[in-house]
Amino acid sequence: MASKIGLVIRREYMERVSKKSFIITTILMPIVMVALMLAPALIMMMSTTDTKTIAVIDDSGAIAQYLEGNEEVHFITPDQPRDSVMADDSLFGVLVIERGILTGNSAAKLYTNAAGSISIESNIKSQIENIIETEKLKAYNIENLDQILDDVRTPITLQTFRNEQGKDESSSSSSAISYAIGVAMTFLLYMFLLLYGQMVMTSIIEEKNNRVLEIVVSSVRPQQLMMGKIIGIGLVAVTQILIWVILMTVISSIVLPALVPADMMSQASAFNAGTIDASTLNADPDLLHAISIFGNVGYILEIFGYLLLFLIGGFLFYSSIYAAIGSAVDNIQDAGQLQSVVVFPIIIGLIFAMTAASDPNSTMALVLSLVPFTSPMVMMVRIPFGIPSWEIITSLVLLYISFIFMVWIAAKIYRVGIFMYGKKPTVRELIRWASYK
Amino acid sequence: MDLLTVENVSKQYTGHKALDDVSLAVPEGSIYGLLGPNGAGKTTLIRIINHITAPDSGKVILDGHQLTADDVAMIGYLPEERGLYKKMKVGEQALFFAQLKGLSRSEANYRLRQWFDRFDINNWWNKKVEELSKGMAQKIQFIITVLHEPKLLIFDEPFSGFDPINAALLKDEILRLRDNGATVIFSTHNMSSVEEICDYMTLINRSRNILSGRVADVKASYAEGRYDLTFADDPSAIAEAITPMVQNHVIFPRENGRTRMSVKLNPDAQLRDLIEIANKNADLRGITESVPSINDIFIKAVEASNQ
Repeated sequence: MASKIGLVIRREYMERVSKKSFIITTILMPIVMVALMLAPALIMMMSTTDTKTIAVIDDSGAIAQYLEGNEEVHFITPDQPRDSVMADDSLFGVLVIERGILTGNSAAKLYTNAAGSISIESNIKSQIENIIETEKLKAYNIENLDQILDDVRTPITLQTFRNEQGKDESSSSSSAISYAIGVAMTFLLYMFLLLYGQMVMTSIIEEKNNRVLEIVVSSVRPQQLMMGKIIGIGLVAVTQILIWVILMTVISSIVLPALVPADMMSQASAFNAGTIDASTLNADPDLLHAISIFGNVGYILEIFGYLLLFLIGGFLFYSSIYAAIGSAVDNIQDAGQLQSVVVFPIIIGLIFAMTAASDPNSTMALVLSLVPFTSPMVMMVRIPFGIPSWEIITSLVLLYISFIFMVWIAAKIYRVGIFMYGKKPTVRELIRWASYK
Repeated sequence: MDLLTVENVSKQYTGHKALDDVSLAVPEGSIYGLLGPNGAGKTTLIRIINHITAPDSGKVILDGHQLTADDVAMIGYLPEERGLYKKMKVGEQALFFAQLKGLSRSEANYRLRQWFDRFDINNWWNKKVEELSKGMAQKIQFIITVLHEPKLLIFDEPFSGFDPINAALLKDEILRLRDNGATVIFSTHNMSSVEEICDYMTLINRSRNILSGRVADVKASYAEGRYDLTFADDPSAIAEAITPMVQNHVIFPRENGRTRMSVKLNPDAQLRDLIEIANKNADLRGITESVPSINDIFIKAVEASNQ
């Protein structure tokens, strides 16, 4: 009997893994993800190629000479009369600074000939604020003002650490990085649950539609067929993740050390251990943190280990509902409405996971990460923040208990559904089928 | 010796009874026709025999013991509505189904190669099923059904969709399997094929078994005392003369210079008396015993049981 399930699993697995589309998506997906992450940076690099010119008409006479241009914008003070400057549309814009600006009685106005830019606006605003601040400080006639200001303005670095008792060292943590990892993992989980769950459903509908089912069930019990299919497709998902884990491990332990300069690597590890001297720090702390995380194979394995546990539990839970739906309908169009039973809670889970990402310790986040319908997504987003392990274990136990229950119900619906042709059933009918002897 | 007996099997679905106290016995080594109008309950009965669904009451005995899930290895089933995995290669797919029936991979491979040789289809092995025509796919399905050499074969409308050449090939194969010791259950509403190849039959109508027995016996029981007489002239003159010895008579419209009269003799009347009267009063040209076709019996029995 067990070997029959084995045969079904093997068939389902081989059919998918040997497909070209599987191999292509497995390779392309990480590339697309990296590309998506790098895209904003690339776009910025490309858009800074042309420098915009802003003409400054300074009625106060206190600002214009201190404005500093950068690669994005540079300032000119034109000699022409105001009207002709305003009419010159070769300029990006005209900045008019009114007389009372130092006393705060009037504003600076920017007239643009093209669409405005947030970065230019905030650049101008902060420059003017700084200039006014400096001007006003000068008015107090303090001695050695420049020296004092230099001394006062000290850049600081905020490092956060997980305070873990029982461990000798506290490990470094960063909310920004945890947030990014949590959200990325949750999206991955969400995508896999929907994609592979639907694959189970489509495959069952196909089997029913072309009547190969009639031949298969004369050798295999319907429940065995359903379980074999779910496990076989689940293994495809696990395979895909494992391939990525191996890729990341290779990148982390071989490629990353080769790419990143040695002094940055040593800074990253010192940073992670909390022994770094802030005055020697010459890189962005978040970047260092990211490097130290991607360079930490143990951490990658841990996070993906959790991902797999929640993926398997969540997949078995949701795909058995998908299987029940697939067995009940004749074609994918009919499945649309019934599918909302699955898609709805998954999307709700995703939405709440986003909320939980900004406050992982709220009661709502805790509760939703324990309820099986939403727990895979919400728990996955919280794990990178470092939460008590009892919460993770409870969540997993609840998820696994409920998937056994869900599989049991789905098998009952499936057994009836696969022989029902023609009529499109309702959710109520599905529930009634589950109660058949 | 009966290979399969079905005893008082009933099966209820919500709102309707699919099988109502059905019993039948399939003798070993026979071809057994399972007849009935659409929706009579044939497919439900076949699913119960295949251990796909369980009966509400009654039992199924196969080869001397009550049917269990392991017995499916002894059964080969070709469903009426059948398909194959479209994206899978023919050989790989046949191996998969053979292994599901309990054959080892190497044994399955060996037997498949023999069948592929027999049907001369070795070049299909690495084709995907979606590349095959319907008739080709049906051959593969047939091979899959019989490959594990089951004792009991169940064919549900096997000839539907076959072209005449392949239907003849299939018929020969079924007869050959029977001769090699297999027992065949044959579900159909194609009556002529029943007459050609079935030894026994059961007629199911409205969830009940309304007629069972040897095909020859069933036909004889419906033939009793019915004769067709052919005349060169008008036989209405003799109608009165034969009235005492027949239960009824029918004169058909004249056709090609002949008039046909069908009569049913009283049980105590003698055929030679009928011939004598007919010969004396009209120009009698021929007489045959009219044996009803299974088709006639089917319609008659179904109509009678529907009343």
